[in-house]
Amino acid sequence: MKEILKKLNIKEVNAGACSGQNAWYEDPEGQELISYDPSTGEPIAKVIQTTDKTYDQVIGQAVQAFKTWRMTPAPKRGQVVRDLGQALREYKEPLGELVTLEMGKIRAEGLGEVQEMIDICDFAVGLSRQLYGLTMHSERPAHRMFEQWHPLGAIGVISAFNFPVAVWSWNAAIAAACGDTTVWKPSSDAPLTAIAVQHICNAVMADHGLQGIFNLAIGRGAVVGERMINDGRLPLISFTGSTQMGRRVSEAVARRFGRTILELGGNNAIIVAGDADLEMAVRTILFGAVGTAGQRCTSTRRIIMHKSVAKELTNRIIKAYEQVKIGNPMKEGTLMGPLVTKAAVEDMMAALEVAKEQGGEVICGGQRLEDLGEQFVEPTVVKMPSQTEIVHNETFAPILYLLEYEDIEEAIRLHNEVPQGLSSAIFTTNLLTAETFLSHEGSDCGIANVNIGTSGAEIGGAFGGEKETGGGRESGSDAWKGYMRRQTNTVNWSKELPLAQGIKFGD
Amino acid sequence: MEIDISPDTPIEELVKLYPEAVSFLSRRGVRCIRCGEPLWCTLGELLYEDGIENPNDLIQELKEHIRKRREQAEDSK
Repeated sequence: MKEILKKLNIKEVNAGACSGQNAWYEDPEGQELISYDPSTGEPIAKVIQTTDKTYDQVIGQAVQAFKTWRMTPAPKRGQVVRDLGQALREYKEPLGELVTLEMGKIRAEGLGEVQEMIDICDFAVGLSRQLYGLTMHSERPAHRMFEQWHPLGAIGVISAFNFPVAVWSWNAAIAAACGDTTVWKPSSDAPLTAIAVQHICNAVMADHGLQGIFNLAIGRGAVVGERMINDGRLPLISFTGSTQMGRRVSEAVARRFGRTILELGGNNAIIVAGDADLEMAVRTILFGAVGTAGQRCTSTRRIIMHKSVAKELTNRIIKAYEQVKIGNPMKEGTLMGPLVTKAAVEDMMAALEVAKEQGGEVICGGQRLEDLGEQFVEPTVVKMPSQTEIVHNETFAPILYLLEYEDIEEAIRLHNEVPQGLSSAIFTTNLLTAETFLSHEGSDCGIANVNIGTSGAEIGGAFGGEKETGGGRESGSDAWKGYMRRQTNTVNWSKELPLAQGIKFGD
Repeated sequence: MEIDISPDTPIEELVKLYPEAVSFLSRRGVRCIRCGEPLWCTLGELLYEDGIENPNDLIQELKEHIRKRREQAEDSK
């Protein structure tokens, strides 16, 4: 552990507010935050949290830096992001391991998360030469009409513990290419990975003589989070978290006419049709439901299976679950580590009690694994008689609900019945069934897949969902437009002054 | 055993210091953590939003529950 921390410049006590290499801010009044290893419960290191005073220092730097950053040509901004991607390549192993150490996902997933950071940097470098605006034919003679995309400002990024660094990079790399600066409030359950990333950013910024492009403000939601969402200096807040918090963020930011990108709760299902390749389906279900201990936004939480394959699929799932190696997430071969906090374990156990009260039958797992540590649990499969209230709620834990259907219409109705709309999938070998699922009357989610699962999205597509998932889009495709302001321009190069719609006014 | 919980206790603090509170409150329809993260409000605000009519009574019950859980844990060591 010490070696990882040393490589990443993590000290025993770290300042939690920063704007650059020589701009770590520490207020003696700042409260200590201890980061714990969820596998052992042992403390890793401490952070001095951001206070009102240090928050203002960080925002001041981010706003100031924006004034010059926005005037830096986009391809030049792309070079800074390219160097950030290169630095992340160099630190991939220790940073990925710190992700594992601090929040408990297995090492392969920790490394994969850093790879995602590298990938989005590569994407953003290309994007820096492709911030295209349209040209439109004006209805007035000798007029030119077009649109430009301008940088927006200092952007607030509020991320969650489950992807402690990748979600930041989806926002920060794109925002930087777009000419924005970012202020990052990471989860209080994963502050050290944020400090490590900030050190990497600081070195890259310093190499380019920059400061304040990437900024950090670690602190409680009720302190730093509330300041950010109510701060008119942050024209955009990109928030990843729960629907309940997203509602609060959305209302606060809308009150000041700011913008939000909301990536909120999911309740992702896989429909397994009667003609599905069950072997592929089971492998996918296992990765989707057990990976990251069921703590991904895109984790598979519901299986909607055709009656004709229900028995066989259930047996195969149970068999697969029984072979999951649970334990030290740093160890090769482990497939599931601990839950992030003791509170998360309590939340899971409470949900299972409710599921049982609502007619659910726990057919696999359901127990704490205290021999391994206080935060280890068994991945759990619950057979439900119907889609009861508990199934409509997202529990951030490895609980998989099994439901049955008779025809595709019923499957899609069950699928869309929940309030969330993030990710979805169908396993079928029938083209008509697959296309129905992807059609206007099919899945109502932001992500809909065929013969692959609900999780494991690539950075190239826009990531986000509908309904109570919040409607935001991050990462690839044209999500960059959310980080810029669109300006419509018309230039009259004639010597006349014609009005649109043929209006004559005082002629 | 001093259990310091009041309506002014931030949920972020409550779930760290007293994780047992999460299952107790959840079983009464009050969810402190969502998507694995604690809500940003105080316990009093959350109980009000969830329509709990006698928050002080519930907080007393909560404290008693935590006390019992911790005593049981001590006994089992």
